[in-house]
This record gives sequence, structure tokens and C-alpha cells, in this order.
Amino acid sequence: MSHEAHAAGHVKLQYQPALPLRNGKLFLWLFLSTEIMFFAGLIGMYIVLRFGATVWPVPHAVHLSEPIGAFNTFVLICSSVTIVLALEAAKSNKSDAARFWLALTLALGSVFLGVKAYEYNAKFAHGIIPTQQGAPYHNIYEKADIYYGSAVKYRAEELNDALSADIKARNVQAEFDEAYAKYSEANKSLSTIDAKIEPDLVLATGAEFKPADQPKADAALAKLKEDLGKIDTAAAQANKYGDMDVEFSRTKYFYLKDNLPTILSEAQSEKSATLYGLAARFMPMAGERDKRHFHGENDRFTWLKMPIVIPGGNMWTSTYFTLTGFHAIHVIVGLICFALMIPKKYTAANCGVIENVGLYWHFVDLVWIFLFPILYLF
Amino acid sequence: MADHSHSHDTHDSHGHGGHDSHGHADHGGLGKYIQVFLALCVLTGASFFTYSDAWPYHDTPAVGWAFMMAVSCTKALLVMLFFMHLKWEADWKYVLTIPASFMSVFLVLALIPDIGMRVKGNYGYHHSADRMTIVGEPSDTKALVDASLKYAPGDGAGH
Repeated sequence: MSHEAHAAGHVKLQYQPALPLRNGKLFLWLFLSTEIMFFAGLIGMYIVLRFGATVWPVPHAVHLSEPIGAFNTFVLICSSVTIVLALEAAKSNKSDAARFWLALTLALGSVFLGVKAYEYNAKFAHGIIPTQQGAPYHNIYEKADIYYGSAVKYRAEELNDALSADIKARNVQAEFDEAYAKYSEANKSLSTIDAKIEPDLVLATGAEFKPADQPKADAALAKLKEDLGKIDTAAAQANKYGDMDVEFSRTKYFYLKDNLPTILSEAQSEKSATLYGLAARFMPMAGERDKRHFHGENDRFTWLKMPIVIPGGNMWTSTYFTLTGFHAIHVIVGLICFALMIPKKYTAANCGVIENVGLYWHFVDLVWIFLFPILYLF
Repeated sequence: MADHSHSHDTHDSHGHGGHDSHGHADHGGLGKYIQVFLALCVLTGASFFTYSDAWPYHDTPAVGWAFMMAVSCTKALLVMLFFMHLKWEADWKYVLTIPASFMSVFLVLALIPDIGMRVKGNYGYHHSADRMTIVGEPSDTKALVDASLKYAPGDGAGH
């Protein structure tokens, strides 16, 4: 015992850090390990909901473009390289080079966010917004049933009421009626021209094309061009008012006058084929392996905003915006860090902050590496 | 003490003695980063290949999913090993990454049979009747696609 006490008095204690790394880096890694679990929870949520769903929309049904997603993946990979190069430059005491690579990383991250914003905007423009059925701005129906039909009817009447009030307030009813008469006349003459010219064109372009038919085809095309010119003149006359708002209202007036009766009667139909026809008219959808992107009336008239049918679309929308939204928040945090770091001077002594933020940025890249295939390609 | 930590850790104030003189002077470097970058680009292309018409397994999507997950895991490993320098870190890396990875993988694996596979059996869906009246089904997609082809047979040059 006395020996031990004696030894304790003379032992030379040597203090060592518990782990051979900086505190900042240790905490960043602890943070990242919680982030791994956070995103694993989100991705797990997606996988479970997707495979548990009765039906899931294919990417082009929800206006998701695979090439754009692949481009964004490439942008993030590039930014991962630039932030690594920023760290290497700082370690070699090349402060200007480090700041250049930081700025480039900031620019690439901004490109990623810009592309993401473009994609979000395309979804919003198609009414693909994560809301509950019946909530304001809710537009996606799972199937073309009576609820869909009544939503279409409601929207059609809403448009019509608003337009009627507008026309009344502007006192332009007579002018609109006159313009509409001209417009339908032009449309009618277009259909007669079609009927007259079509046989000649078929003859000239069909399978049994003979060189002798060439003059006939040329004459038919020339006639078509001339008549189209006449229609353009008629349309220009119909649109003689310079006021943009009036012109906009007139487009609506023409559309509703042409289509409202059909839309209202089809919306109240009990036949599901009729309701699906209505849904296809507003936002048509190509088949699974068909990569075409159809344009419906919702695309042609952006103010129309008719309810659309995307089977499985509501769950898709919720998961897509949750996953990409949380990822985008992480990107924004990274960009703020880069922006704050660029003005500073970097040497090997203070390059730790670049390493820490770089680790975080690589993690953001890692998450996207998994999000890209499961959202765009699965 | 076998300290494999990265050379700039030598600049911290802990005075740890004897780092970086042994072993790993060759880690990192522009050449290696560019190699990894090219590998990541090629792997992204490989994932994207499943979208092209040349991909032979469109009829069995599970093949594509497994392929893409394998590609993604490879990409994730490349980023972690080289860009996040884990290849050259000391053994503390296992303490932080392995438990987190286990928890995340098992979280997903545990949920898939419980929720993911429960509702879709060999004999149709196991949703409640109430849910089935409002939820879209593959037949709804088919009806919409058929109606769309009738509506716009020649349309669709692209976005």
C-alpha cells in the first residue's frame, strides 16, 4: 500500500485526446451519423409507401424528367470535387485557390438549386401540389369517379362565373359576341378547307406517291397557305382590342363558349369512360414505356387549372416534396456556409472549417446519390 | 500509437507526435480525385442506362432496382472513402459509421415486410374496403392512358 502511494506521487501522467481528431471534426461526424439515420428514415418511409401503394405513377406521368435529374446528379458530383480541391488548396496554403474552389462550389450548388426550382415550378404549373383532397389548391384525383366529375363541374362554373362578372364589369358583351362570331366563322372555313385539300395531300404524300402528283400537292399546299393567311387576318380582326386583359378574357370567353356545355354534361356522366375522356382532355398521360409527353388543355390554357387524374399521384407528390424538400434545405444550409466562408483567408492552420463543411457537403451529395435513382428511375 | 489520421490534423494543438511521417503520403491528390470523379460520372451513366431503351430488363423492374441500388452503394462508398477521406482515417471511423448504418438499414428492412409487403399479396390488395373506394388502382391508370391515346394520338413531340 505504501508502495502504491509512493508510486502515485511520482508517476508522470500523460494526457492524450480521446480520439485522434479535432473536436470540430468529431462533432461534425457525430452530426452526420444522426443525419444518416434521419435520411434513412425518410428514404425508408418512401420505400415503404411506394411498395405498399396499389399504384404508383411513372415519372413522366408526374412530369418528372429523368435527363434533368441526371444532370443535377452530375452538378452535385462536380461540386463534391471542387470542395475537395478547396481543402487541398488550403492545406497547401494557397488561399486564393481555396477561395476560387469555394466560389465554384457555391456556384454549382446554386445551379443545382436553380434546376430544382425549375422542376418544382413545372410540378406546380401542372397542379401537382401536396395537399389533401378538398383542400385549397388540391388538384390531383386518384381516379375519375363522381368526386372528380363534381370537382370539374365546380371549377368550370367557377371560371364561368368569374368571367361573366368580368365581362359585365367591362361592358364588353357585345364586342365579345361579335368577335366570337368571326372566330367561329374562321374555324368553320378552316374545316371546309381541310375537307377540300386533304384528298390532294393524301394523294401526294401517301404510299403510292408518283412524281406526277407533285404539282397537285404543291398547288394544294399553296392553297392551304393562302387560306391560313386569310384566317390569320380574320383572327387579327377578331382581336382588334389592344387591352391585354380584355384579350385574355376573350380567349377564356371563346374557350368556355365552345366547351362549357360539353364539359358540364360530361362531368355529370355516370359512365367512367366519359369521365376518363374528360380527365385525358385536361391532362393526358402516356403509357408506361411510352416516353411521350402529351399536352392537354391544362397546358394550352394555363388559367384553366382543371382537376386532373393521376392514380397514386397524391402519395407520390407527398413523398417527392418531402424527400427533395429536406434535401434542398440541406443544400441551402451548405450554400450559406460557402457564402460566409469565401471572404476569409485560408492556410493549413485554419483549413479545418473547409474540411468540416466539405464533409457536410459530401453527405448532401451522398443523399442525392440515393434520391436520384429512387425518385427518377425506379 | 498507430495514428492514421490525416496530415492536417498535425496542425491541431494536441501535440500528438509522429503523425504523417509514416505510410500515407500518397493519399488524396488531384489525380486520385479526378479518377473518382470519372468513376462517379460513369456510374451515374450506368444508373441512367436503365432508363434507356437498350436496357434489357424493362419487364422485370426488380432487376433494374437491384442494379441501381448496387450502383448507388458503390457511388456512396467512393464518395465516403475518397472525398470524405474515410479511407485514410483512424479506427474511430467505424465507431461512428457502422452503428448509424446498421440502424438505418435495419429500420428500412424492418418496415418493408410490415407495411410495404402487407398490403400487396398474391391475391390482390389487403387494403380496407373503405380505402379501396378512394385509392387509385392500375386499372385506373390503364383507363386514363387509353383515353389519352384516343384524345391525342399523334401528340407528344416532347416537353
